[in-house]
Amino acid sequence: MTGIVVDGVSRSFGGVQAVRGATLRAQPGRVTGLVGPNGAGKTTLLLMLASLLAPDRGTISIGGVDPSADPLAARRMLGWMPDTLGAWPSLTARETITTTARLYRIPPSQAAARAGELLDLVDLGELADAPAKVLSRGQKQKLGLARALVHDPQVLLLDEPASGLDPEARVQLRVLLRRLAAEGRTVLISSHILSELEEVVDEAVFLVAGAVVDAAPAQTAVRTWRVRLAGATPERQNADVWQVASALSVAPDLLGADRGTVLIGFATEDAAAEALRALVNAGLAISEFTPAQSALEHAFLNLHPSDAPFGGVS
Amino acid sequence: MSLGAVWIIARLELTQRLRSIGWYILLAVFAVVLLGVTGLAFAVYSWGEFVGAGVFSIVVNMVLLLVVLVSPTLSGNAINGDRDAATLAAVQVTAASTGDIMLGKLVAAVATGGAFLIVALPFLALSLLGGGANPLVLLVSLLVLVAEIVVVAAIGVGLSGLIARPLFSVATTYLVVAALAIGTLIVFGLGGLAIRSESTTYSRPYDSMGGAICDEWETYTTEVPRFDLVWWALAANPFVVLADATPTEFSSDGYPVDLFGQIKWGVRSAQQSPLEQRYDDCDGSWSTYRTPQEVIDSTVPSWFVGLGVQVVIAGSLFAGAWARTRTPAKRLPPGTRIA
Repeated sequence: MTGIVVDGVSRSFGGVQAVRGATLRAQPGRVTGLVGPNGAGKTTLLLMLASLLAPDRGTISIGGVDPSADPLAARRMLGWMPDTLGAWPSLTARETITTTARLYRIPPSQAAARAGELLDLVDLGELADAPAKVLSRGQKQKLGLARALVHDPQVLLLDEPASGLDPEARVQLRVLLRRLAAEGRTVLISSHILSELEEVVDEAVFLVAGAVVDAAPAQTAVRTWRVRLAGATPERQNADVWQVASALSVAPDLLGADRGTVLIGFATEDAAAEALRALVNAGLAISEFTPAQSALEHAFLNLHPSDAPFGGVS
Repeated sequence: MSLGAVWIIARLELTQRLRSIGWYILLAVFAVVLLGVTGLAFAVYSWGEFVGAGVFSIVVNMVLLLVVLVSPTLSGNAINGDRDAATLAAVQVTAASTGDIMLGKLVAAVATGGAFLIVALPFLALSLLGGGANPLVLLVSLLVLVAEIVVVAAIGVGLSGLIARPLFSVATTYLVVAALAIGTLIVFGLGGLAIRSESTTYSRPYDSMGGAICDEWETYTTEVPRFDLVWWALAANPFVVLADATPTEFSSDGYPVDLFGQIKWGVRSAQQSPLEQRYDDCDGSWSTYRTPQEVIDSTVPSWFVGLGVQVVIAGSLFAGAWARTRTPAKRLPPGTRIA
């Protein structure tokens, strides 16, 4: 079991180069996040991994199998959840699962048992006999996840699984994904809800304009922190900015403001810690001192260096 | 490829249909139409002793008409409709092969056409009460009908795999089927009328007493359409294939007893050259006249050529769609997303 190995994969549609020379690895037992802006080629890459689309160049290995050479063997190993569930309109949720199970050559009696099990797992037990077309978007996502798990796949490819889910279902999804990974499965998950992704992934692969980019430089870039003084109000904002700036001995126009809080960029965690000490020593009533973005979001936004929000304070 | 998977896919497709009320209304309307047609057919054929054969042939032709009119709507979006609904990729990613999917879709489309035949079965049984039907005729005509259902289904499924948008593939399926059913008639009609030749009619001159002079011929020429040069255009017409392939029963005076035979007679008559007509009053007859049975016996059958042309058209569209639907996909139909 070697998880997912993608090596120099490219794919174009007509004149549009959707994925260019992508190389990545997803290990068994780990949840790997696939992060990138809209149109970065995440779905195209997942379609190639799911054996539906052939790469123009490069090689893919799913659990040691090349899906171009032996799609059937790859398909028995992988579970794919598309970004939109194609639900057969007049089948019920239960029939959707049993039919998919039958297409994986699972005998009817086992298919029925599996359907019940999976629908309970994704919390659709009560809607099992409702037509799939009346399900809400979030419920369809759950059904899509259950369908992807029907043949107990070792490799999971999930395209935006959390979209449309309510907060409780997101927590359940997170727990489920961690459990699936703990069972030794390879989980590759794409999402643009980075704060969600951050809590579940072991590592992240950044895809920009079809190419995998190294996020290490981005992670060392200036990061924005949020400082809140006790009792802050929007009206008091300018005064707060001035107070923080003078305590840190920087020009106030290097700082930003957002809904009553002050935003400051620091290049390193040490610089941030140093600044916090200075603020406390200056007698300011700090009630909040925290990164303004999750680490993943920070890395993601800094993949385009020109978009860095605020200048650094050394 | 596995028969089990083909059947699961076909059943999936049919389940969608069986759970829509519209489908039952369509079949019910068809049953009502057949009831009327059967009643009229009994009246039409009441003159002879072969009532059953005649009514049977009309009902079979009605089923073919319905298949030609309705099947393209039901099969013409089999693949691109699923692609639009994002359900195709969900099947492609399973252990079902492209062959399973293509054949499953075809089986479902054929079964849909077959449903019209099943609705017609009571009427076919009813027609046999009229008597005079030959079992071989029944068998062959039903086999050809099934072959035509398969051809129309394969054209629809094929085009739905080749054309990205369901609306266009359904319309194109209609155009292809109409080219066979109506286009062939237009080519035949216009072609025959456009090509004209001098035709000579021979007859006996008459003396002053009004009697025929039996050792002389009198001639006059007219310009006639040459349907005998374009008759082949009709070969690929589904109704002509059905009629031409079905063995014909004749009444004692050499006339076909059912609609199949009557269509066959019409098409075969077109093969005859109109260039020379001879009326011999000394014999008291048109010496070039032949009974329908003589016409049919002396002309060449064309149904296998026509069916062959249809099979080539349907087969190549189906094979093209098969190649386009194969995964991992190298090329996609322009303007489509795989999922």
